[in-house]
Amino acid sequence: MTYFWLFLKASLLSTGGLGNLPFLHKDLLALAWARESDFVTALAVGQVSPGPSGLWSISLGYLTFGWLGAGLALIALAVPPLLILVVAAFYGRVETNLTVQHFTRGLAMGVVGLTAGVAWALARSTIFDWGGVLIALGALLLAASNRVPIILVLALAGLAGCLLYLH
Amino acid sequence: MAERPRPGLWALFGIWLVLGTQSFGGGSSTLLFIHRACMKYGWVDESEFVRDWALVQVAPGINLVKFTALLGYRLRGWAGLAVAMAGLLLPSSAVTVLMTAGYDAVRSQPVVQAALKGILPATIGLSLAMAWQMAEPLLTRSWHEGRARLSAHALVLVASAACLILGASPVIILLLSGVCLVLLLAAIPCGAETRTS
Repeated sequence: MTYFWLFLKASLLSTGGLGNLPFLHKDLLALAWARESDFVTALAVGQVSPGPSGLWSISLGYLTFGWLGAGLALIALAVPPLLILVVAAFYGRVETNLTVQHFTRGLAMGVVGLTAGVAWALARSTIFDWGGVLIALGALLLAASNRVPIILVLALAGLAGCLLYLH
Repeated sequence: MAERPRPGLWALFGIWLVLGTQSFGGGSSTLLFIHRACMKYGWVDESEFVRDWALVQVAPGINLVKFTALLGYRLRGWAGLAVAMAGLLLPSSAVTVLMTAGYDAVRSQPVVQAALKGILPATIGLSLAMAWQMAEPLLTRSWHEGRARLSAHALVLVASAACLILGASPVIILLLSGVCLVLLLAAIPCGAETRTS
């Protein structure tokens, strides 16, 4: 029960996929329910596995408590997002106000800026050479053209990785 | 606002199931998949998409999960919310658990490592494409309102990226972005006759 509560609390208090990391890291290590290496593995799996990278905590749940842990982690992830409906309903009542519209425009620009900022941070840990730069640019162009299925872009990138880095 | 389509629940579940299982490589590609689906099926238009994605940032939890919940709810109410979330989360969670179980065996495979070294940079390109597609309609609209207003939008965009890289909290950045643009637009009159929608 405490276990579930810790996951739920981390999910409730955070926004974004990795926002719950600091909470879980502190709480689970303090109780010795997880090892440092569990976190490294879970984060890596979260990056590669399909779906949001925030699913890393499901991986952590599995490592620390088996299928039950994974299930509890999933429920803890699925409940807090329902609060978005409250936020959206509130917004729906004020959206015709001009100041609110300008504020939302600012939010939108901020979101785009955050996306770019995250891409920059990720680039520094995943792109090491010109091959990586070319792959990123190629994916950018293919995706911007809106003609190529994304799964194909990812498959091509995987293939390019094999050709470039497999020795 | 245009008439919103009302997809069948099974169809909705099927689409999110595909989204949930195809998007390897973290959240960036998932968001792009959702974007494509929204445009293809006409669920929401570009400005509603950006607005909802922005709203999502200020509520607790994983952004993509909140976004899925919101879109599902907008399309088909509570049932839509349930099938969209189930479609996104169940298969991808199961795969996540299986990958965790097999992680140590797979990690050492050179082929897997090499493929990942290609896929991770590609997800960065994908998220930049996404960023551009989200920004483009709003930048176009502000361009019609005069150059000063366009600069104000661009300034907020660049500043928020810079603040994130410097380590500021995303929620704070977003709130500041909103406040700054309100102040800037109050100071800069609308250049053309175009009414802000």
